Amino acid sequence: MDSFFTRYRNLLVLLAVLLAQIIGLAVQVRRTESGRNTLDPHDPTGVRLIRLWADAVVTPPERIFHATKLGSVSLWQNYIDLRHVREQNQDLQKTVDRLRLEQASLMEDARQGERLQALLDFQQKYIYKTVAAQAIGSSGNDSSKVFYLDKGSSDGLDRDMPVITPDGIVGKVREVFPHSAQVLAINDQTSGAGVILQSTRIRGILRGDAAGRPQIIGILADQRIQPGEKVLTAGGDLVFPRGLPVGEVVRVMQDPDRDSFIDVMVKPAAHLDRLDEVLVITSTEPRFSAEQQQDMATSQMLKGAQAAAIKEQQKASSIMAERLPGLTDPNAPPADAVAPGKDQTAPPATTAPPAPKLLHPIHPDRYTPGASPQPPQEEKTSPPPQAGRNP
Amino acid sequence: MRISGVSHRRDLGSRSYPMLVYASAPLVALVLQAWLPRVLHGYAWFDLPLVVTIYFALARRDPIQGTMMGAGMGIFEDALTHRAIGANGIAKTVAGFLAGSVGLRIDVDNFTIRMMMTFLLSLLSGAIYVLIYRVLLGLDQEWRGLDELMKAIGTSVAAMILFPLLDRTQIRE
Repeated sequence: MDSFFTRYRNLLVLLAVLLAQIIGLAVQVRRTESGRNTLDPHDPTGVRLIRLWADAVVTPPERIFHATKLGSVSLWQNYIDLRHVREQNQDLQKTVDRLRLEQASLMEDARQGERLQALLDFQQKYIYKTVAAQAIGSSGNDSSKVFYLDKGSSDGLDRDMPVITPDGIVGKVREVFPHSAQVLAINDQTSGAGVILQSTRIRGILRGDAAGRPQIIGILADQRIQPGEKVLTAGGDLVFPRGLPVGEVVRVMQDPDRDSFIDVMVKPAAHLDRLDEVLVITSTEPRFSAEQQQDMATSQMLKGAQAAAIKEQQKASSIMAERLPGLTDPNAPPADAVAPGKDQTAPPATTAPPAPKLLHPIHPDRYTPGASPQPPQEEKTSPPPQAGRNP
Repeated sequence: MRISGVSHRRDLGSRSYPMLVYASAPLVALVLQAWLPRVLHGYAWFDLPLVVTIYFALARRDPIQGTMMGAGMGIFEDALTHRAIGANGIAKTVAGFLAGSVGLRIDVDNFTIRMMMTFLLSLLSGAIYVLIYRVLLGLDQEWRGLDELMKAIGTSVAAMILFPLLDRTQIRE
């Protein structure tokens, strides 16, 4: 017996290790009511513990690597490569001024919408509070589209919180550790986000395919869906607030499993492979945050100041126009005076150039302007269509 | 290419390394495997933990050590994903065992043999991973042959760089 174990020691160890892992796998898989196997979305305690240990080992060095990378990039961008910064700064300042004015009017619309929603007892969630975080690592496995953030439960992060960038949605928090968090990206096969196509208003579920490309599934074949159409979050998944950009339609293809359904391939708005800084939405409220309200007040104030300045300029120019000698005859009637006999209800004359007067042709044909198209030759012999007949 | 028979395996002394190398090499491989895909924007067609597993299994000429290291590395990799813990573990356990078993029989100093071993075990590891998901767990897992081939080539290239570096750390008597 002893010689048996000695002789087959290697093989026995291999079988024991394999058996232990197979039992471990069996614990993590469960059968759904539809008879399909699925992985438990909430890890058992033992599995979570292993993930916690792995995260505790890998995250600190990743932080150091990431900080080193950021430091060197920052050194280059902030101290060495500063060409054209002054011009860019001026351009950006102009953009900021313009956007503040636009924001004021948009906020006014949003306020009105909020009031109407309140009247209809419909609560629209607004992004109330976000936490900025750095993406520091990945799963290292191309079939698992998850990445790690440098913020965790100690920073207010929790499971199922949406993760976004200014460009679009990125994913949702899947697992939270004390000082880090695991995010499931929208291009993973097991992810799911409720989305809506902007112009056709068709709803579907966004998830990744085997190659990690986001696609909308479960849509009935519809000719209206065209490449280029914007995709937004629908807000029905209880994770992402409504109206956030997701991406745009790239291609529409037949669902290989179901005939009447299509798969819509989507190009994500956020650069999922090049993420550095992301925002985790930690709170959504049915009202604007204090910061947003302050922005609105600033915008309104700026808008008022701008409007006053424009009014002053108009007043000054009108005074100057009165004082300076004009090219027009002061005794001539005003240009907008209505000519006697002219129809007063007619629209004002446009400034379009006068059209050349056409001479009447001697032998008009079908190319003559205003002539109706000639019917085909064979129709000439057919009887004339009856009145009221639908062609 | 020098290939020795089983009877001569005693003549092929196993290599030994400082404890620091045993501890740090797998850790560095795991951290880089998790960090580099973010830097390389998804073009990370290599498996550094598998390279380290194969290297130590071949160098130590011990199937049990290869098995244990493969299992440890695979479970650790699984733990960093959101998927089942154990699938990668089983794949790398088999790879480590095979590398250790082959190390008993052939001259693992040969550069070509090492590269071929790495290439084949990378493909085998990928195939076992997919098989576990499809057959054992009954879950959807697509076999992407081209990606696996690219990964096997990338892993072989990584091994070509890392094996000589790790060779330098061995204790010479």
